[in-house]
Amino acid sequence: MSPTVRYRNSVDPVYTDGRDIDPEVGELAGEGAGQQSSGSIDKHLKDEMQVWRNLPMPQPGDSTYYDVPMLNEPAWGWAIPTYYYIGGLTGAALVLGAAAQIGDTRRREKLIRRCHFIGLTGACLSGALLVYDLGMPSRFINMLRVFRPTSVMNIGAWILTGASGAAFFTVALRGRKSWLGVAGEICGYLAGLFGAGLATYTGVLTANTAVPAWQASRKALPVLFGTSAMSSVGALFELTVENAEERRLTKIFGAIGQAAELASSIAMEKQARAVPRVGRPFARGLSGFVWRSAMALTAAGFVLGLIPKPARSRRLAAGVLGTLGSALMRASVEHIGTASARDARASFQQQRAGYGAAELVKREN
Amino acid sequence: MAATKGFFTDTTLCIGCKACEVACKQWNQLPDDGFLFSGMSYDNTVHLGGSTWRHVAFIERPVPLSTQDEGAFSWLFSSDVCKHCARAGCLESCPTGAIIRTEYGSVYVQPDICNGCGYCVVSCPFGVINRREEDGRAWKCTLCYDRLREDLIPACAKACPTESIQFGELNQLREHARERVEQLHERGMQEAYLYGASAEDQPGTEGLNAFFLLVDKPEVYNLPPDPVAPAKKVKEAWMAAGAAAAGMALTAIAAVLFGGRRV
Repeated sequence: MSPTVRYRNSVDPVYTDGRDIDPEVGELAGEGAGQQSSGSIDKHLKDEMQVWRNLPMPQPGDSTYYDVPMLNEPAWGWAIPTYYYIGGLTGAALVLGAAAQIGDTRRREKLIRRCHFIGLTGACLSGALLVYDLGMPSRFINMLRVFRPTSVMNIGAWILTGASGAAFFTVALRGRKSWLGVAGEICGYLAGLFGAGLATYTGVLTANTAVPAWQASRKALPVLFGTSAMSSVGALFELTVENAEERRLTKIFGAIGQAAELASSIAMEKQARAVPRVGRPFARGLSGFVWRSAMALTAAGFVLGLIPKPARSRRLAAGVLGTLGSALMRASVEHIGTASARDARASFQQQRAGYGAAELVKREN
Repeated sequence: MAATKGFFTDTTLCIGCKACEVACKQWNQLPDDGFLFSGMSYDNTVHLGGSTWRHVAFIERPVPLSTQDEGAFSWLFSSDVCKHCARAGCLESCPTGAIIRTEYGSVYVQPDICNGCGYCVVSCPFGVINRREEDGRAWKCTLCYDRLREDLIPACAKACPTESIQFGELNQLREHARERVEQLHERGMQEAYLYGASAEDQPGTEGLNAFFLLVDKPEVYNLPPDPVAPAKKVKEAWMAAGAAAAGMALTAIAAVLFGGRRV
């Protein structure tokens, strides 16, 4: 990387790559020598070096380090919550498609195809979003060089691979004559299996972290993500499908999903609030606003959807509200995690309240 | 396999000279952090991160140490580093296998494998490892793997002028650390204790290969009081996911059975 000018407006601007090693004198060979650096400082300093809003005054008994974050905040950008939404939609659509394959399918053929199509498109989009968010996108394939059950992300990579493969083959083969059709049929069921994993593992991935708010809500997060995936499928069908027969079916699926999504949102917040400081991002700041808005949108979509025989406009409104609610919920979970990671006191108070390793030790005894 | 090696950082000996920070940067050829003024005592590096593998914390306390004769103020210094946990959150969460345990028992990120997914960043209960934006990969202390291979001790321990940072075989370090705590207690410094010296001390990480002697609560040094490797709690999340997946499948089947019929 080429060096940059630092402190441009100062009387003494510096031209540096952050290392200033003269290649004629020193060779770049250290453990960190491969680290790319242009010398620009705003690229790696996030909020750590913020200007003080009020000066920290140490108090006896006030146990923090200048209220500096203890954890490093999630490095994930917008692509990850978007993936949570798209991946959830994909997974739930594949589950619904597989369920619709059971029994007499003549009247449901269109629905099944649509579900599989959503599954295939969604899986491709999901992969693209995940690769985009990597620090080294060209190395995405490294995810699949090992199978590591301890890493939820590794399992997720395999689930997504399985789901996209199964979705591809069912779209390509289902309905053909001879054994090919049978293989396509089986792939449809397989895709449903992978889909159920795809819609819920992201909740496990988020919960399996040191971020206090996420870790505290580990029993609710996978359920919330799964139910929200169901409601997003319902909402998408409300928006895009005109066939009333198909919609009746997806409506039941979506409405149950929405009700369960609201219930698990409340459960998640309650779990996190077991330690008040940990529950703070659910109620305060941008994260709290987005979280509450997502809940309100989902609730509004749910109520609007309950009206029997709605006009087209009202139906579309319900679809838009449901989609926004689901998508925003994923975004808010990301915001909550960032806010929680920035709050060292949340970690400290959580662990002091017995929700660190003490929780596990207690259970073993 | 060589014996497990690690650090014992005795914070009562630290004088806050930052020689460890400089030696680390210099040996590992890490880029600088921007030479900014944080306003927090003499600490201008603030936190461990992608290109900061040693960080000296400066704690200005309005409370005296118990051995202090006069004054109502004490100044604590502590050189923080990757703990190379016996059960490491980053290592367990790494989806590519880029993070490995070396023959010295240290946790090492292979820069030629890491694809920058960022999962280790949120899995470290100490906030050590971080992704450097310009580079895209995750970086942290390597316990000077290259130096260990040449029978040299890590650069920070070598540079430390007061032996606050001690490097050696973990068992010997632990023994020595316990003696040191006893010695301090005898001198009247009752508040001295070891942080993360063994699996009993810190069940969540099953002991740290880089442990500390502290004289105040861990929070004061920006260390978690009861850290836990996240994967120790993941079972409950998987069970919830299983229940959610089953519920989703059942709902889908019910919707197909009861929703398709004309009313």
